[in-house]
Amino acid sequence: MSAQSKDKGGLNHDSARSHVSGRSIYIDDMPWQKNELVVDYFGSPVAHGKIKSLDLSLAKAVPGVVALYTAADLHHNKFGPILQDEVLLAEEQTEFIGQPIVVIAAESYESIKQAKKLIKLDIEELQPLLNVDDAIAAGAFIDREYVIERGDVAQAFSVAEHILEGRLVMGGADHFYLESQSCLVYPGENKQLVVHSSTQAPTEVQHVVAHLLGLNMNQVVVIVKRMGGGFGGKECQATHPAVMAALVALRTGRPARLVMNKDDDMMYTGKRHPFQNDYKVAFDGEGRILALEARLYADGGAYNDLSTAVLGRALTHIDNAYYLPNVSVKGRIAKTNFPPNTAFRGFGGPQGVLTIECIMEEIAAYLKVDPFKVRRVNCYGIEERNTTHYGQLLENNSLPELFDRLAQSSDYEKRLAAVQEFNRNSKTHLKGLSLTAVKFGISFTNKFLNQANALVNIYLDGSVQVSTGATEMGQGVNTNIKAIVADEFAIDYERVIVMATSTEKNNNTSATAASSATDLNGSAAQLACRAIKGRMQQVAADYFATQEVGIGAYPERIRFQDGMVFDERKPHLKLSFDDLVGHCYRSRVSLGERGHYATPSISFDWSKGKGTPFLYYTNGTAVSEVTIDRFTGALKLDRVDILMDIGKSINEGLNRGQIAGAFFQGMGWLTMEELRYSTKGALLSHSPTTYKIPGIFDLPEHFKIDLLDRENKVNVRGSKAVGEPPLLLGISVWTAVKHALSFLSGENIPVLNSPASGEEILQRLTHYLEGAEGGLPSSDSAWGVGGSVLLRGRSTSRVKSKVSEARR
Amino acid sequence: MSRANLVFYINGKKHEVGGQAAFQPLTDYLRYGQSLCGTKVVCAEGDCGACTVLVGRARTVGAPGFSYVPVNGCIQYLYQLDGCHILTVEGVTGCQSDDAAACRLNPAQEAMVVENGSQCGFCTPGFIMSLSALAYCDYYKDYIGKDSLAEDSLANQTDSLKSALTGNLCRCTGYEAIVQAAVSARYEQFQALSQVYDEQAILKDLEPLLSVDVSVQWQDPGQSGPVKSGPAKSEPDQAATTPLSQRQVFIPSSVASLCSYLAENPDAVLVSGGTDVSVNMNKREFKPLKLVSTARLGLDQLKQLDKDELEKSGLVKLGLGKLGSGILKVGASVSLAQLEDYMKEACSEFYKILWVFGSPQIRHAGTLAGNIANGSPIADSVPFLMLAQASIEATSAQGTRLVPMSEFYLGYKKLALKPGEFISAVYIPMPVAQEKIKLYKVSRREHLDISSFTAAFALQIESGLIKQIRVVMGGMAATVMRLGEVENFLIGKPFKLETFKQAGKLAASSLAPLTDVRGSREYRLKLAENIFSKLYHEIEEESLVKK
Repeated sequence: MSAQSKDKGGLNHDSARSHVSGRSIYIDDMPWQKNELVVDYFGSPVAHGKIKSLDLSLAKAVPGVVALYTAADLHHNKFGPILQDEVLLAEEQTEFIGQPIVVIAAESYESIKQAKKLIKLDIEELQPLLNVDDAIAAGAFIDREYVIERGDVAQAFSVAEHILEGRLVMGGADHFYLESQSCLVYPGENKQLVVHSSTQAPTEVQHVVAHLLGLNMNQVVVIVKRMGGGFGGKECQATHPAVMAALVALRTGRPARLVMNKDDDMMYTGKRHPFQNDYKVAFDGEGRILALEARLYADGGAYNDLSTAVLGRALTHIDNAYYLPNVSVKGRIAKTNFPPNTAFRGFGGPQGVLTIECIMEEIAAYLKVDPFKVRRVNCYGIEERNTTHYGQLLENNSLPELFDRLAQSSDYEKRLAAVQEFNRNSKTHLKGLSLTAVKFGISFTNKFLNQANALVNIYLDGSVQVSTGATEMGQGVNTNIKAIVADEFAIDYERVIVMATSTEKNNNTSATAASSATDLNGSAAQLACRAIKGRMQQVAADYFATQEVGIGAYPERIRFQDGMVFDERKPHLKLSFDDLVGHCYRSRVSLGERGHYATPSISFDWSKGKGTPFLYYTNGTAVSEVTIDRFTGALKLDRVDILMDIGKSINEGLNRGQIAGAFFQGMGWLTMEELRYSTKGALLSHSPTTYKIPGIFDLPEHFKIDLLDRENKVNVRGSKAVGEPPLLLGISVWTAVKHALSFLSGENIPVLNSPASGEEILQRLTHYLEGAEGGLPSSDSAWGVGGSVLLRGRSTSRVKSKVSEARR
Repeated sequence: MSRANLVFYINGKKHEVGGQAAFQPLTDYLRYGQSLCGTKVVCAEGDCGACTVLVGRARTVGAPGFSYVPVNGCIQYLYQLDGCHILTVEGVTGCQSDDAAACRLNPAQEAMVVENGSQCGFCTPGFIMSLSALAYCDYYKDYIGKDSLAEDSLANQTDSLKSALTGNLCRCTGYEAIVQAAVSARYEQFQALSQVYDEQAILKDLEPLLSVDVSVQWQDPGQSGPVKSGPAKSEPDQAATTPLSQRQVFIPSSVASLCSYLAENPDAVLVSGGTDVSVNMNKREFKPLKLVSTARLGLDQLKQLDKDELEKSGLVKLGLGKLGSGILKVGASVSLAQLEDYMKEACSEFYKILWVFGSPQIRHAGTLAGNIANGSPIADSVPFLMLAQASIEATSAQGTRLVPMSEFYLGYKKLALKPGEFISAVYIPMPVAQEKIKLYKVSRREHLDISSFTAAFALQIESGLIKQIRVVMGGMAATVMRLGEVENFLIGKPFKLETFKQAGKLAASSLAPLTDVRGSREYRLKLAENIFSKLYHEIEEESLVKK
């Protein structure tokens, strides 16, 4: 069927050959136009400030500087995907370090550098809010409180056998897409702009550019060929550079390019939300949870961006794989003076799930039982205990099977015994083992986003172009769509090209996000193909019927197979697909179609905290084993086994790549990746020299991925979305560290924040190994570990605030 | 005799560059000057590998030809590359025809396609270059079995292959597919470079040019400089009156040239591998007026001194001549990768440190002399050198002298070099058999990371007592330092955990490290304390194994 190899579980990536030969084109690879301008911006030097005066005269005089723009040059300055609370260019106040104030256009980067130095800004420094506690104390919040509740929490706590409470502080993470935020804008006639953007959200970019520049959306075409990685970071945050370059192009009439350097990108764009979660959990002697009360604080940064939706997903995912009979979870977004935190693969889900997996580990440590048993006893059931805390029924629940099969295939019990034995004997190292799960809801929680359109055009020679709103950031959505379209027509994959995403071809598209790009856009493309195919079948039926072979025109019996078309009653009479296309054209039958797909049966009501927001769930389990150096806190990941239910793969090879990559990103977030800030709120770890994402040696020797082969009937080709869910399996590495610490913590619950860096681990080891003696000097130090508070029965894991550390 | 233009080849094509164009990173020249956009730039500081290229210099031993090494193109400035043949991803793609469609992929590229080793693609050209290095670099000649990797040796080779790829970051794949590609690539099927490029003709063309010094002035009209097809990324035209326009770079072809140049220009900045200097240029607006590239000095001696050489060296006078198993001379041009290779047999502890030093790209560009001269308190090579009581050979027009490592650092990044002096070699007394060497590096990530803390120990134990011990720590003060007080405390004490615990407490109480992005003061103090217990346990364990 295809000339390309399929033996590795599907078609190779659409762009693989151009990637490996360096011929794939990214924004900054596009040829320079002769009068092109480079664009950059001058931003706030302080995290929170009041602009007193701004003098651009010296900067304007720098040779090569063509234009300087401020908020006054914008038609509108306010925007935002959920709340319109963000300004593109600060006018009176600045809310984070690097917040843009002046857009600079020049003929060279050196001129921009000079101009930046000569901009005279008089700014009064105001007290910034640099952590969640300070924001809470100041009452600084974005948006309202969101709540999900079920059952009678108070009653459950009042009769519970055991209660634990604690606080979990987790840091953010930089997306570290390799290609920084980039945009290139070509001006056209009549205020029309062509915007080449490295974005996951072309329509969002189109909308914001048009809105802020006072254009109609139909004057702005946004094109996305590909991104050098996105991971959520190019959903909303790609709009800022796009507007700036578009402003320059519109006003000067010259092409304008803005490509951020890595340091600026890391310092000035939003990240994964740090969270600070307080929880209280009631459970029985077997570890079965009776009630959960949790209060989540997301560090939103200076503006809302997508924080509302991120918080929402944290609240809907705090159950993870576990049935919670009585629940009260409340969440708020703290407003701090950092760049607005934004979408990042998992989108709040990981911050919710880490909390419950942390709780599972603590219950087990408290009861001194195998954490797996606690998880298993709490796992959602098939026939009962199978509705989520927001009321959605779990259909086709594969979680129990995933738990049991992985425990068996990974030899969990034997290895747990070996870990216990090791920890009894080793004077130098400590081991931990943990098996965690993920249940990730698929669909945007905002219902209207769950739609997509696709345009399929067949040309006279039988070759096919398909355009959708999905953007390619490496995940392989184009390869999936190519396969869907080629398979619908039963033609060679080479006959189909998936075009660059363009708002000219596909209007009002949803961002490539929420793992849903193939689900939505693939479904739309399939609908378009089927509509064309229906017309082609009619033409073919007429064609075969007129061959005097004794069969009437019967479109439903026309088959497409291996590039040929035939009536199943006379299969030896064949017409090639290409010839049929010619017939259709000459018969004046349309060979193009636009498909539109809207996800059925989903809804959610935040005023009640109830609904069925997800079409289905993607599930999985993972077990990780770690070794810790008792003297340095150094962490080594020894072995990982993953088992996932991702339905029938459209392309298994690509899906395995998504699983491995996502797992690693989750692991990085929870272990070595640490955003360290100055006391003034400046990011100090703003390049790979100081911000460490996992490297090749962090891949353990044993890294195994297995898949359940199970059709997901409600989605295109029986598949399931896979982009985000495996990121949450990286949590098993963090819980394995917590598990290791439980061997030292004695009667205490092992406390661990995230990231579990060498320093964090060593701090905990010191505390447990040396007790009071290990508590090092200085009370404001990161090393001041809080004491235990006896709540009921035995000790609990309440810790003092550690916020200052998370943002230090 | 001298030249005013740089001459180098890229993918078989000759380039001559002079004037200000010589003062730009290779990646800018490739991407914005030559439209060779396959080479990507992400971090511009040598920490991600997206810009990896192969740089070939004429072999000094063995068959005439080029010896290629993988380096980070973003921190290789053009003036470092005079006389080189540079290969980019466009140049290893199994064809050199201008007809892109006619190209077939090389075996590493093919493997990366088949194994799905590439997702977003931005890191991919860098990985392709690191994989191609396995086929094209002398350094990797015996590195892996080239006839498809045999199953039984796979585990061993996987580590070697990972090591070759340590300098390349990928955010999409989790590396699993890339390792698969590295394992399955048919390295023996790479087309020999000599079949692709007329290397002999290139060598012949370059040979006469390499015997002369090069002196490039910013104001020189650049011959065949980069065709600026777009706004210059790094260096635009400067008004002739600014001091920057006085910038110059000198590339001596001999030590004598360098000595006389430095005698007149003692303020010149020496660039060896450039792995630190170029980062400062890219990121910290470091723009020295006078630059000297030592790339063509050929101070590439890496050998144990024999008796005569030892006599001549002056080391005997320093009291180092008699030491145990010989003295190793490391010329200033010796790369960290060459040293790593040597230490594999000669000193496994130092090898372990060199193995996790930066990345292959950094180790192939960077030199031991450069690491010493940079003077960082967290330099990875310095604790060992301090421990081994190495000596620095400083050379100037006045001749050479030796400076013991212990006297080389006067303060934070302050060296005991006199004006006009440069490091020409390092002499390392190799550890003796009865001495136990232990080196430690703690960093956020084991590989490709800068240390938060380093420690080095040399000790002799006799009948249960600590007979001799030297202790060195880095990351705890403005320089790497010996801990004399702790040494004195330990000497003569019984080899027991309690002894080392006390030593750890003593060390911690005598140090005052800073809090920075790599770790807090408390963290470093705890490491300084704990490392003694770690040392004790490791030595105890090893002696148990030996028994």
